[in-house]
Amino acid sequence: MRAPTGISELDTMLHGGLMRGDVTLVVGSAGTGKTTLALQYLINGATKFNENGLYITFEEMPAQIYRDAANFGWDVRKLEAEGKLRVVCTSPPVLVQFVEQRNPIDAMIAEINAKRIVIDSISHLESFIPASELRGELYRLINHLKMKGLTSVFTAESHEILGDRLVVTGVGLSFLVDCIILLRIVEIQSSLRKALTVLKIRGSDHDKRLREFEITPEEIKIGVPFKDLEGLLTGTPRRTGEERFAEAFAKAARKEK
Amino acid sequence: MKDTGLHELSEKLIGTEIKAEVLHLFHMNPGILDTVDGIARRVGRMPKDVETEIQPLVELGVLRKERFGNLDVVSLNTSKDREIFKKVAALIEGAVKG
Repeated sequence: MRAPTGISELDTMLHGGLMRGDVTLVVGSAGTGKTTLALQYLINGATKFNENGLYITFEEMPAQIYRDAANFGWDVRKLEAEGKLRVVCTSPPVLVQFVEQRNPIDAMIAEINAKRIVIDSISHLESFIPASELRGELYRLINHLKMKGLTSVFTAESHEILGDRLVVTGVGLSFLVDCIILLRIVEIQSSLRKALTVLKIRGSDHDKRLREFEITPEEIKIGVPFKDLEGLLTGTPRRTGEERFAEAFAKAARKEK
Repeated sequence: MKDTGLHELSEKLIGTEIKAEVLHLFHMNPGILDTVDGIARRVGRMPKDVETEIQPLVELGVLRKERFGNLDVVSLNTSKDREIFKKVAALIEGAVKG
């Protein structure tokens, strides 16, 4: 029923992992860790859960993926040689042809018996497909992946780094996908930190709190929920009323002494 | 040193700058599955130049060009690539010894 990501705190937030056969959108601005999270999902699938995976990238070259993954101690080339993972570098027009019969991507899925797929990033399709057709093409692609029984992760870029305007995607993709994980940069006491939350999972409950996360030299580590702060999704949170009251009380108590 | 087809083969593989760039691209990134236009962008060249230059690599079998929907998609034929490079290595060895 569930496809664990292997990132234990995230699996706890998702009540066990991604729903098998679903499409998850990982959305965030540049530098929030979308690619790392998506890659870790595939690496953990291949190494911990015996679920092979396909990574489709548009702009990043496989050589760059190999190098970046090696920084986390993940040997992607070795996993490819073992037939557990494939990194495919292509262009959006080729991906759209993915739904055609007898195509090389389907052949790769069959060849390694892939159960997981990552498309990094789905935002690139916007520059190649006319806006009027984009939603329909995405719907077709999503259903193609579902028919193949793949548990998919799409990454998508959010253009807002900070600010109170949060647009998940411009084409209503948030309605087409089953799960949305939001990565966000937040400014707390003059330093930029990273926050993660699960915005939705179709057909399942989930942890709705915002948690801080960091990208360590080994993996993504998700911490405890943010405390005493509100407005985190605006990127510039403020302390909660209780926290402000507690501080004023403590200040008054100090004066009293 | 005698030439036993080494010159002809290396000419087909890396005879021009663009051919060498394309071959290097595929060796570094064997997972590329792209149109000529996409490959041209990845090596920073014009599609018409790349189209011409990859043809001998396709004829040699190092690259594969397949119709995929309404697009021609190019990828590395890894087994043929290995075979050709073994042949090149053997020719170089023979030429050095000869």
